[in-house]
Amino acid sequence: MIKLPSNDFPVTLAFPPQGHWTQPHLALPCLKAWLQASGYGDVQQMDLSVEAFDHFLTAESLTRAAAKVQQRLPLARFDGDRLPLGQMRAWRAAAESAASARSIIGRVESAKAILRGQDHPLDSDRGFWDPDRYVPAVRTLYHGLRLVSAAHYPSELTPHNFTMSYSNDSSEDVLAATLDEEQNPFIEFYREQVMPRLLERKPRLLGLSVLYGSQLIPALTLARMVKAALPDCHITMGGGFLAYIGDKVMSAPGMAECFDSMVFHEGERPLLMLCEALRLGEPLHDVGSLAWWDRADPEHPVSVKNMAAHPIKLDDAPAPDLDGLPMDKYFSPQVVIPYDVNRGCYYGECTFCTLPTVIGPGYRTRSSETIARHVVELRDRYESTHFNFITDCMPPGMIKELPEQLIEAEAGITWWADARIEPKAYDADGARRLYEAGCRKLLFGFESATKRILKMMMKGQSLKSVVEVARNCTDANISVTFYAMVGFPTETREEARATLKFIEEHADIIREVSLQTFHIDEVAKTYKQPEQFGIRVLDAPGDLALYHDYEADVGMTQEEAAEMFEEMMASFRRNLAIFSGDNIFYFMQKSHYFLHLAAGETPQGFSGRCADRTSARAEREADPELTVSEGLVTVPLGFSHSDAVRTLGDPLARAARPDFLTGRYVRDADRVAEETLPPLDPKQRFLLYDPENGEFVELRDGGVRVLAALREHGTLGALVAAQVRAGASPAAIDRLEQFAAELHRLGVLRAAASTSPSTPVLASARG
Amino acid sequence: MNQNKDQRDDVENEEASEESGDTSLAAGGEALDLEGLDLTVETVEERISPSETNVFDK
Ligand code: B12
Ligand code: SF4
Repeated sequence: MIKLPSNDFPVTLAFPPQGHWTQPHLALPCLKAWLQASGYGDVQQMDLSVEAFDHFLTAESLTRAAAKVQQRLPLARFDGDRLPLGQMRAWRAAAESAASARSIIGRVESAKAILRGQDHPLDSDRGFWDPDRYVPAVRTLYHGLRLVSAAHYPSELTPHNFTMSYSNDSSEDVLAATLDEEQNPFIEFYREQVMPRLLERKPRLLGLSVLYGSQLIPALTLARMVKAALPDCHITMGGGFLAYIGDKVMSAPGMAECFDSMVFHEGERPLLMLCEALRLGEPLHDVGSLAWWDRADPEHPVSVKNMAAHPIKLDDAPAPDLDGLPMDKYFSPQVVIPYDVNRGCYYGECTFCTLPTVIGPGYRTRSSETIARHVVELRDRYESTHFNFITDCMPPGMIKELPEQLIEAEAGITWWADARIEPKAYDADGARRLYEAGCRKLLFGFESATKRILKMMMKGQSLKSVVEVARNCTDANISVTFYAMVGFPTETREEARATLKFIEEHADIIREVSLQTFHIDEVAKTYKQPEQFGIRVLDAPGDLALYHDYEADVGMTQEEAAEMFEEMMASFRRNLAIFSGDNIFYFMQKSHYFLHLAAGETPQGFSGRCADRTSARAEREADPELTVSEGLVTVPLGFSHSDAVRTLGDPLARAARPDFLTGRYVRDADRVAEETLPPLDPKQRFLLYDPENGEFVELRDGGVRVLAALREHGTLGALVAAQVRAGASPAAIDRLEQFAAELHRLGVLRAAASTSPSTPVLASARG
Repeated sequence: MNQNKDQRDDVENEEASEESGDTSLAAGGEALDLEGLDLTVETVEERISPSETNVFDK
């Protein structure tokens, strides 16, 4: 390493939107630590993703968004004869905004405070731990982002993704998106919140991390703005997503206007070499793993790709440095620190998997001693005992050694990690030891319950060992999540249903399932040797295309696999406690369930409470004390909201929107869908938004009349009594009560506190 | 491509119409025609059903 006092070379590393919001991402802290250990003393890092979420989810931004929605998508504009598919999404956004905007604006700050555990000075009263406060708070934030999205219609920003009407697989689209201020919410965000800071700092190098496809457009948007404002700043990019499409980006026309270079795979050594070259004014040819534009002729930049750099010796790398990240802005009451125990995968055989290639070839690990030392260091420095060990999977040796080291170092931490089924390592003793060393949740690659499929996948695991490992972990109070896959080439419906059945039959040892549909990217074995899997890979249009469609003679088609995904998810929603009802937010907010486990809850205890919560809701009855929720908003509509939601959920309609994982949409799909899915006929409907519950319900005229009468009488009991006095039949009263009970289940009607069946607060031991 | 542009242009520049608040169809002290009223309730299943794209990560 080059030890030089390089404070005169300011570096800024930024993680652009959108990435998941409960905890920091690891790439930039690793890079910052490496640069600093090599003598670069002025390295700033910014998590612009969580900053953007924080910024958009303020009363002020949401007020602006609501005004914009009224201007861009006024509800009255849709009062036509019929609502065609092409207008349905916009209408839905307009209707929901009209019903919810004011309530969301009023509640957004307290919702954020609840998720961050800042809502009450006493830990035990913090709403994060109480599902009846936590779930509405999460919903409020999701709906807040709906409002932001509606203001930039048809773009969609959620805690999990960012998509626009521009497709990620075409450079022309991607570049156009970076300039579209109406639809791209980040242009204004950068201009107001980020550029002033960068202009003041004037970094010599700006490094952008592009882990996910959802970051591509936002990263290029920022890069373009910085390039214009700070032409002397070298802009480079790196990260997992670029391991897949980097070469294509570097050959796409127009990209050279946005940035200067790109680092492939592991970033530490190349970034340091790049800083050195820039600082010393040397040419970039020797910077390992770098692709860059040779601008000798400024009019015609030429794309150059250098040789790969040697990977670093991971065990010599410093602990990640999280300094400068906005720790209080993550949506989590305690920061969960990410830490990479290894890079690559020691197994590396699974035929569908491209994970190990993301950070470069080869498998490297930190020693258990180093991990324990770093963990203690990070624990003390960031005052958090919660860790997410970032790994493609833990090797058996480490599963044995790490607990000893963590216990010996008195780390006193809790952690979760991805894992591979290793029956010897996760025997009963091993699992107990892991728990003692703080392990609370493990996510295993299970994939399928069909031997034939497992063999094709080369998973190297038996169903017997899968059950054994999951049982041992469960017995040790470690929560087990399974990754499962639907639609692997030649898989039949029956085989997918066998996977579903297997998981549900073992719901006592499998608490969560992360289900994915099989897809083919250009790095995968299934792409390179399709005949081995009985498929034909189709050409993908788009110069940045990464994912390919395929055809198979045997097994489910891609469409059938997508349908099977729905069938399986719907079944999990019924049969896994954490997936049931609104408990699913615990699954969706990655580290939140983990934090309950870390606070002393057991997987069984948590699941039990989730199940109780769902059934308590389903059992709600027509309590005479029921009243209309305060603040309930009712908006009259010219069409049925639920018809619109159903139509938009049709696979034909969805094909016209960028797919969640791949960011692709079928080009002609909107035309085909428009021809096939009939427009909505006008209907008089009312959309209700209950701010305390954070959900929408649709009623008809009769229902709204009953609500008005109920509000007038105060309670359901009083209304029933009045109707009986007025001569209503028992059947009529029964109808009224059924209606009231249903609204109570949905949260629109509320029982006075004393009579409401209280749902238990999760996590008895809060920490 | 900006496939939604056409209809977006259609809906621009119109008067805002926020019609929130109660519709007062209340039947104060009188009897409601409970048997004749349409009391259908439609819910949006948590808005996190799998058919809602853009909502899950792994
Ligand atoms: C942990 C993880 C997550 C966690 C992140 C939690 C957290 N806050 O950290 C969670 C569960 C949230 C997650 C979610 C998803 N993930 Co994920 N995830 C990973 C994983 C396993 C590790 C990432 C990591 O932290 N690595 C450790 C750090 C140190 O390495 P790194 O990020 O690669 O950074 C190094 C280099 O890339 C480079 N680098 C990175 N940035 C920069 C910047 C500059 C300037 C430079 C020079 C270099 C550089 O240098 C770094 C140090 O060497 C990767 C797979 C993998 N093995 O990389 C997938 C991965 C990033 N995820 C992926 C995907 C697809 C997703 C999801 C869309 C869903 C899914 N199907 O998995 C969601 C999207 C979430 C969202 N948009 O909000 C893909 C992304 C690429 C793609 N194909 O689209 C990856 C690559 C896996 C894959 N399939 O190949 N994920
Ligand atoms: S699926 Fe898991 S075990 Fe298999 S190669 Fe990928 S990371 Fe390794």
